[in-house]
Amino acid sequence: MASNKKYWRSVEELKSDSPVVEQLMQKEFEEEIPTDAFLGDKESLSNSSTSRRDFLKYVGFSTAAASLAACQGPVVKSIPYVVKPDNIIPGVANYYASTMADGTDFANILVKVREGRPIKIEPNKMAGNWGATPARVQASVLSLYDNNRLRGPLAGGKTTSWSALDNKVAATLNQLKEKNEKIVILTGTTASPSSDKVIADFAKAYGNVEHVNYDALSECAALSAFDAMYGMRALPNYKFENADVIVSVGADFLGDWQGGQYNAAYAKGRAPKKGKMSRHIQFESNLSLTGANADKRLPLKPSEQVYALINLYNAVTGSSLTSKKTAADAAVKQAAKQLKKAGKNAVVVTGIQNKDAQILANAINVALGSVVFDATSPRFVKAGNNKQVKALLKEMNAGKVGALFIYNANPSYTLADAKSFNTALKKVKLSVAFTMSQDETALNTQFVATTPHYLESWGDTNFQAGQYGLMQPTIKPLFNTRQFEGSLLTWMDSNADYHQYIKDNWKGSILNGSTWNSALHDGIFTHDVKVKLSNTKLDVQASATALLKATKSAAFELKLYSKTSLGDGKQANNPWLQELPDPITRTTWDNYLTMSIADAKALDINNWNVSNGALNGDKVTVKVNNTVLKDVPVLIQPGQAKGSVGLALGYGRAAGMQDEMMTGLNAFALSFDFNTAQTVSIEKTSGTHEFACVQLQHTIMGRDEIIKETTLNDFINKPKEAWNETPEFSLNHQEVPAERVDLWEKFDDTIGPHFNLSIDLATCTGCATCIVACHAENNVPVVGKHEIRVSRDMHWLRIDRYYTSDMTNEKAKEEGVFGTGEMFNSMTHPQENPQVAFQPVMCQHCNHAPCETVCPVAATSHSRQGQNHMAYNRCIGTRYCANNCPYRVRRFNWFKYANNSEFDFNMNNDLSKMVLNPDVVVRSRGVMEKCSMCIQKTQLSILTAKKEGRPVSDDEFETACSSACPTGAMVFGDVNDKKSEVAELTKDERTFHLLAEIGTKPNVMYHLKVRNTKES
Amino acid sequence: MSHYEAPIREPLITGNKSFHDITNDVAAPVEGKANKLWWIAFLIALTAFLYGLGAIMYTIGTGIGVWGLNNKINWAWDITNFVWWVGIGHAGTLISAVLLLFRQKWRMGINRSAEAMTIFAVFQAGLFPIIHMGRVWNAFYVLPLPNALGNLWVNFNSPLLWDVFAISTYLSVSIVFWYTGLLPDFAMLRDRAVKPFQKKIYSLLSFGWSGRLKDWQRFEEVSLVLAGLATPLVLSVHTIVSMDFATSIMPGWHSTIFPPYFVAGAIFSGFAMVQTLLIIMRKVSNLEAYITNIHIENMNKVILLTGGIVSVAYITEFFIGWYSGSSYEDYTYLSVGAATGPYWWAFWALITCNFIIPQSLWFKKLRTSYMWSFFISIVINIGMWFERFDIIVIDLSRGHLPSTWAMFSPTYVDIAVFIGTIGFFFVLFLLYSRTFPVIAQAELKSILKSSGENYKKLREENHES
Repeated sequence: MASNKKYWRSVEELKSDSPVVEQLMQKEFEEEIPTDAFLGDKESLSNSSTSRRDFLKYVGFSTAAASLAACQGPVVKSIPYVVKPDNIIPGVANYYASTMADGTDFANILVKVREGRPIKIEPNKMAGNWGATPARVQASVLSLYDNNRLRGPLAGGKTTSWSALDNKVAATLNQLKEKNEKIVILTGTTASPSSDKVIADFAKAYGNVEHVNYDALSECAALSAFDAMYGMRALPNYKFENADVIVSVGADFLGDWQGGQYNAAYAKGRAPKKGKMSRHIQFESNLSLTGANADKRLPLKPSEQVYALINLYNAVTGSSLTSKKTAADAAVKQAAKQLKKAGKNAVVVTGIQNKDAQILANAINVALGSVVFDATSPRFVKAGNNKQVKALLKEMNAGKVGALFIYNANPSYTLADAKSFNTALKKVKLSVAFTMSQDETALNTQFVATTPHYLESWGDTNFQAGQYGLMQPTIKPLFNTRQFEGSLLTWMDSNADYHQYIKDNWKGSILNGSTWNSALHDGIFTHDVKVKLSNTKLDVQASATALLKATKSAAFELKLYSKTSLGDGKQANNPWLQELPDPITRTTWDNYLTMSIADAKALDINNWNVSNGALNGDKVTVKVNNTVLKDVPVLIQPGQAKGSVGLALGYGRAAGMQDEMMTGLNAFALSFDFNTAQTVSIEKTSGTHEFACVQLQHTIMGRDEIIKETTLNDFINKPKEAWNETPEFSLNHQEVPAERVDLWEKFDDTIGPHFNLSIDLATCTGCATCIVACHAENNVPVVGKHEIRVSRDMHWLRIDRYYTSDMTNEKAKEEGVFGTGEMFNSMTHPQENPQVAFQPVMCQHCNHAPCETVCPVAATSHSRQGQNHMAYNRCIGTRYCANNCPYRVRRFNWFKYANNSEFDFNMNNDLSKMVLNPDVVVRSRGVMEKCSMCIQKTQLSILTAKKEGRPVSDDEFETACSSACPTGAMVFGDVNDKKSEVAELTKDERTFHLLAEIGTKPNVMYHLKVRNTKES
Repeated sequence: MSHYEAPIREPLITGNKSFHDITNDVAAPVEGKANKLWWIAFLIALTAFLYGLGAIMYTIGTGIGVWGLNNKINWAWDITNFVWWVGIGHAGTLISAVLLLFRQKWRMGINRSAEAMTIFAVFQAGLFPIIHMGRVWNAFYVLPLPNALGNLWVNFNSPLLWDVFAISTYLSVSIVFWYTGLLPDFAMLRDRAVKPFQKKIYSLLSFGWSGRLKDWQRFEEVSLVLAGLATPLVLSVHTIVSMDFATSIMPGWHSTIFPPYFVAGAIFSGFAMVQTLLIIMRKVSNLEAYITNIHIENMNKVILLTGGIVSVAYITEFFIGWYSGSSYEDYTYLSVGAATGPYWWAFWALITCNFIIPQSLWFKKLRTSYMWSFFISIVINIGMWFERFDIIVIDLSRGHLPSTWAMFSPTYVDIAVFIGTIGFFFVLFLLYSRTFPVIAQAELKSILKSSGENYKKLREENHES
């Protein structure tokens, strides 16, 4: 209650013009302080003496005062709002719908903003498949706070102002216009209607303007094939959810193939429903995420994949195109049979970077009448045209290009012949790079028109026919940046603001009567469109002949691929992604040559573990077309096709990066002719490479109860006990389910919510989204390559990956070696072409937690809600809990990871610390940490509901992992709410608990994996 | 106290020793000047200690990450060293308490030093649980202190907490027991001291011992009572240490035979350490007459017995590992896990040192050889260190989920800390040997007439029986 009382010093004050009042107001003290009497008499002052005792007093006082002042703690500024923005309440997050489209990753997202800072990317569940947020999208929020971003525009590598840059650029542009010289705008795929319109306007203003699309991960072949068949440069859409049989020839469609985002659709068919699930057959050379999920996987070299594809075409359509034999021909015939049987519910996809191969695959789909292959709602997320890029290079070299604007692309890094591009760039009169950091291309252009991050930008997208998205800024631009479109608008003397421009464009041609505000609120806008497609009859015979001619078989074939973590390397400076273990190799901070076990043996190449367990490997020299890549580490990869090797793109970035992030080698240097398949020669060299793997044992060692799996056949035809046995214990000489055996009295957990997390191993594709989501939500520290190497990764959530071994328990029993060293020794080795299983493991929040009983200070204890708490303040760091955790999910703070220059990642500078979630404490050195089941989120839901006086609804409870999971494999909720989805899932027949036989009674449950092994 | 002893028993005190000789011999190292050898040994030990101290300070200042541990193997050298030192600290109480109750007179020549060793070893042991904490500065959280935070209390379920009580109880009882025995001997030194400073110090230390009959009576009573109190501790300390492992659920740790197995192992290693120290000491401090062949042989017999128990425990573990039918247990014990896995060398070091080599003690010739006994005692010390290393590191390195299998390699800091504790131990022991009566001479005198060589001979000549 503010007081309105006013105290008066005298009645005089009532008279506002009274001189007395004025006089009093001027004086600090009512009466004069007699300083003169004391200091005025110089003589007495100089005569006064300081005694020894006085002197000591003064010294004592000043020393004490000085040391007290020195003891002051660090000043942390906390500045309150003077005028509080209406929509910001400190402590309450705001969510904004936006869209990420950086040329590689495309997603409709929600951005969680706290106190004006975007801190987390969430999926936009209204946006369907495009609303998923894969690992790189999740991590993109950290790239906003990248300390290596440029602070403003550059001219000749030096800081400049926008007006100076504009003047110089505009002057050159006008000169070029006068001479009608060519201006080329080279962009990565923007999939943005307004951006295209700006470019078109710019072309109108300057005349001779060409827009060249260039994708580092090019899908030019598929685009051209679609163009040839349907008269439109777009990509077909695949409705994997409708597929009964999926045959993929080298297509990593759970990865970056054709713009990605197929995980959700694919997973819908992977959980057996009503005795049905899809059958997925994969022919590929590198063991990809997609291949790891396949029911049947056949390793084939890139060249053999071509033959297999033609053979498949022959087998499906009954034609007899010329081809060659492959090792997998029997499987191809089998696959064709299944495809034909499934008819319109079958689909064939291919990742072969050849127009004719793509035509062939499309032709099979057409022949099958596939409803999965959907040409009527094409995708626009890839637009790169390799021919145009090649032509551009030629023109640049010939000096025919007057100006080159490069946006959303980094050709000096991603082109195989980057050197000649850089030389050609010098012949261009005006070169401008539109980029956030001084990357390889920016180093070679005259100007850098620094762009903002997408979270600071306006924009729009059109990922797919009829599916539009809006990008809106969620923070005021951190630096002196300007959007690419904004620059173009400025240079064509338009005063339009890009935000307004988009708005006008949408109102004019997209919204179709709907309101801008609702579209902005949703972040997406959909309307049905009829795409006009021309149907061209194709000469498949000619395609096959051309394809065969273009395919060269070699002793060693290299297949370049993009990793889940780094993709094409745009976000290579993102420590979360660098430390994200590859789902297959589980290796971080590196790229490496993957090689089959047989080839490694033949070339005498080894991988071995050193005394601290870390993996070391031999190195090779790789040669493609006279280009030599030296000291390439080799990782022996089960499942790699013999005669083929794989190498990940996106590494070996060398500019605009922090030193720690400059990892690996640039594989783009080998991608000649934009092709990811190359003939290669390999030679072993001296030297050892040190890998940083988070998993060192790759097989399950006969412990089949860890990841239970069954075949579809058994799942349908056999009783539950046959494929999901409940562990039993003897209680009073009677075998009872382990669940019922209990050392303790049952704790009443029916009051309030009791949280459970359910993970479906059948639909988990291992995409690693949850890992990054957890990283971002819970302020998990990044520890760097060395610490990962010595098994000190801090991930609260990991995805274990297991390979099958030739030796199984059943086989050992048959051979009479069960339980012997011989059995275990052979079990440690993965098969040449193993089946793969993924298992996300985080704290299991055991109701009988082994960690809780052993902590001497009760720093970890159980909550009534089922969560296993960790009281960091109480923890003294004995690490006993971690030793006693059978799941090994506890993570110790070996060092101080925040504010420590030894760990210069995202917690060591003010900029990147802005990404930290203020609801989660940053842990100090010496304490244990682990998954909290996102207690900050569950408590928020409970408190919000309480405040609003209502029960919490089921969909409110979420963890970072469950909400980010693109396939819905993770479901979180309250099992005390009997109607909740998770409560239903506890009763599912596929449910099992990890290591249930120990009796830990976890609150995390798994649903066993089902493989569709039906061969006919 | 004099008692009858059969003439065929070998004398426990050799040579022509009178009561005064014993006094002189025990007081000699205290009253004389330290020789060169002592100084060299002391300086080496002090250097090692300071090196280790530096490593400890570096650890506390930087983080446990300077050790070789990781998120899968959260304990390694720290707890190995802890258990090793606790084990070593077992012989003292056993010798002074249990053997007292069993009226084994041969303990009198060695109990003082054995107990000193115990106390110094427990110091080292106690150091590790403290410095292995991530936040040492909050170590007092393990004490059940009343606090202003309501019901914030220690967790009585945790074996680590039991450790806190077990070790501190053991240490305090050991110190009291040891000190009580020292009283008459300190009084002896006090009475002999010529320099006033030394006289002052020893009179303070001897608590005003007067040598009256009442003093002796109380001394005997207290000794007996303390022996009674200390005996269960011999069993309890290592039982509780073993529960750190046995109550957990890790395959290889979760084992019901751990308590007796650990106690036997502790006595095994404790006696080995006593051997190591006394065989040197009898030479350096001229105590050959008091620490004789018979002492060494008796201790070797105890070593053989406890070594046998430990070996049976190994075999039992292996059998149960196989018999359990659990592939986790099976893997850890048999097959690849230990013997042929990446830590095969540690496993075979254990088997060789603790099982194979000690079997030589069945031969009397070797059993009574000082050189061989010394060699064996060193071997057993090494073997017992590996036993703890194997239990902790091998088992942790092969947990339930194969995806979490990892390995451990020590850093130089791990090694420095261990060396530091060895240095600290010897610093204490060397200081003790120069300032304390290293043999319980008062007690020893009580058996001179019954077990002294000259008296035995005298009796034989007189045909007394």
